[in-house]
Amino acid sequence: MRTRRIVSLLARLPGVGEKTAQRYLLFLATADPAIARDLGLELAQLSEHVRPCERCGNLAETENAGVGAICEICSDAKRDASLLCVVGRVHDLIAIERSGAMRGRYFVLGRLLSPLEGVGPEDLPIGALVDRIREDGVTEIILATPPSVDGEATALLLKRDLAELGVRMSRIASGVPHGGDLEFADPITMGRAFFGRQNM
Amino acid sequence: MHALVAQTLQVRALRNLSAVDLEPGPRFNVISGDNGHGKTSLLEALYLVATTRSFRTSKLGELAPTGAPGATTSVRARIDDGISVHEQSVGLLGARRSVKFDGVRPAKLAQYASATPVVVFSPSELGLSMGPGSERRKLLDRVALYSGLGALEASESFSRASRERQRALETRGISARDLPQWEALIVQHGLGLMHARAASAERLAAAATAAFEGIAAPGLSAAFVYAPSAPTGAEAYLRALESMRTRDLARGSASVGPHRDDLAVTLGQIAARHVASQGQHRAIVLSLKIAEIDVVSRARQARPILLLDDVSSELDRSRTSALFALLGEQEGQVFLTTTRPELLDADWRGHASSATRRDFVIEGGVIRAR
Ligand SMILES: Nc1ncnc2c1ncn2[C@@H]1O[C@H](COP(=O)(O)OP(=O)(O)OP(=O)(O)O)[C@@H](O)[C@H]1O
Ligand SMILES: [Mg+2]
Ligand SMILES: [Zn+2]
Repeated sequence: MRTRRIVSLLARLPGVGEKTAQRYLLFLATADPAIARDLGLELAQLSEHVRPCERCGNLAETENAGVGAICEICSDAKRDASLLCVVGRVHDLIAIERSGAMRGRYFVLGRLLSPLEGVGPEDLPIGALVDRIREDGVTEIILATPPSVDGEATALLLKRDLAELGVRMSRIASGVPHGGDLEFADPITMGRAFFGRQNM
Repeated sequence: MHALVAQTLQVRALRNLSAVDLEPGPRFNVISGDNGHGKTSLLEALYLVATTRSFRTSKLGELAPTGAPGATTSVRARIDDGISVHEQSVGLLGARRSVKFDGVRPAKLAQYASATPVVVFSPSELGLSMGPGSERRKLLDRVALYSGLGALEASESFSRASRERQRALETRGISARDLPQWEALIVQHGLGLMHARAASAERLAAAATAAFEGIAAPGLSAAFVYAPSAPTGAEAYLRALESMRTRDLARGSASVGPHRDDLAVTLGQIAARHVASQGQHRAIVLSLKIAEIDVVSRARQARPILLLDDVSSELDRSRTSALFALLGEQEGQVFLTTTRPELLDADWRGHASSATRRDFVIEGGVIRAR
């Protein structure tokens, strides 16, 4: 059945349960049909036009399917290319952007060091990060992985692995609740964590 | 000093309690009932809503009623902390625990878990003197939590880092590249936990030594000293971890660290575990509990809620009497369970007036006023 199928697809979205999915379907089926149609069209092309940025891992848009996508931040010439902020996930990048504290660019690791979750040092994109630092002439790195145990371990590992590059490194201050999530930090807390960063 | 008072308690689907709604009195609440009718479960419910844990088990899944699979365990309480009245609630769904303070999820678990200090006295706590270090570590951590020493965060981070190191050892061996990072974090958080425990031990020791003198035979004195397992210096601790990787891999956990700490109890210079008589063990336990009440009260400037499970069955006459004398002075809220309320009546005389006492009977998980 068509409705069943749509409900079960919607229910696969994070934070959406069976009940909410049912409500979405009801809305889409009874509201202005243009909403469902436009949404459908956009979603159908999503994977072709919205992809991780080739340079930083942020979400990026491109008009040409099949061509590498570069995000708005990486293509913004006013951004300071010598300052690089390393984050765990795109969510964290968005939270930092919202605080307005970052004038440089980003590098999204995509994961944190965690043997318990099957992520060892070799599973982190450290090689790509080193290339990026060399190519862009980065002189300062801000390690903005979350203040959780895994986030701290990741920062410590990067500090050691990047030491030979001779760039300045700092770690965001733990204004963000310990063991916490950057995503849930409000822009003011985030801004404070950013400006209060400590040299490593 | 004001007292914490549970004004209402609502329990749903916890062990054999399907639905209990209780309005306790502000002082003594005596809950009587035959074996297996739900007395301990009721205290467990109150402990759960105050601390998010159980004093009987570390596996909260055990609290789900076996007769009603899929039922949601929940406990809600309205608590007067002497300044204002707030509501706390804990719900358990499978392995998930949801806690709300005045309807809002707290930013930190420690905030919630330390809001309403509770001290339990149950038969199983004889282990405090006779048993392994785990019970005494828990005592140190409870006191540290209520004293705001940051022990809960340190303990959670310490155990996460320890498990990460162990998994790295198991999957990639003793030269795994990320071991130094996990070990640095173990040391950082482990030392944090050790500092908190040392501070709680110091506070407990003074109070427990004094209490013991009042209870035990004249001339006998007890000492209580924090005995950390790991070196207390960062460098030495780090080196210990590094040098014991092979052994830790074989053991399945770190050979040294706060997870192996103890609070050493000695009677006249000798470890109490080896020499104390039954009566002396009981006196040590009672002293530690009195110290816990004392230290928590002073740290919070408020009287904790006391939960006494089946007390008179475990203590002998003179010690029960000492306990009641203490309860008489306490002026806080007390919950007491017993299978034999008539025995309690005898102890009661001279210590507390009946006007301050409210009686309940529990039968098959259903509670009513007596
Ligand atoms: N998960 C569970 N689901 C349903 N019933 C349970 C569960 N766990 C324990 N029980 C039962 O609940 C009843 C109440 O247990 P509880 O320990 O509260 O009794 P009690 O009144 O304290 O008894 P005693 O005086 O022997 O200490 C017992 O019959 C016990 O077997
Ligand atoms: Mg019992
Ligand atoms: Zn980019």
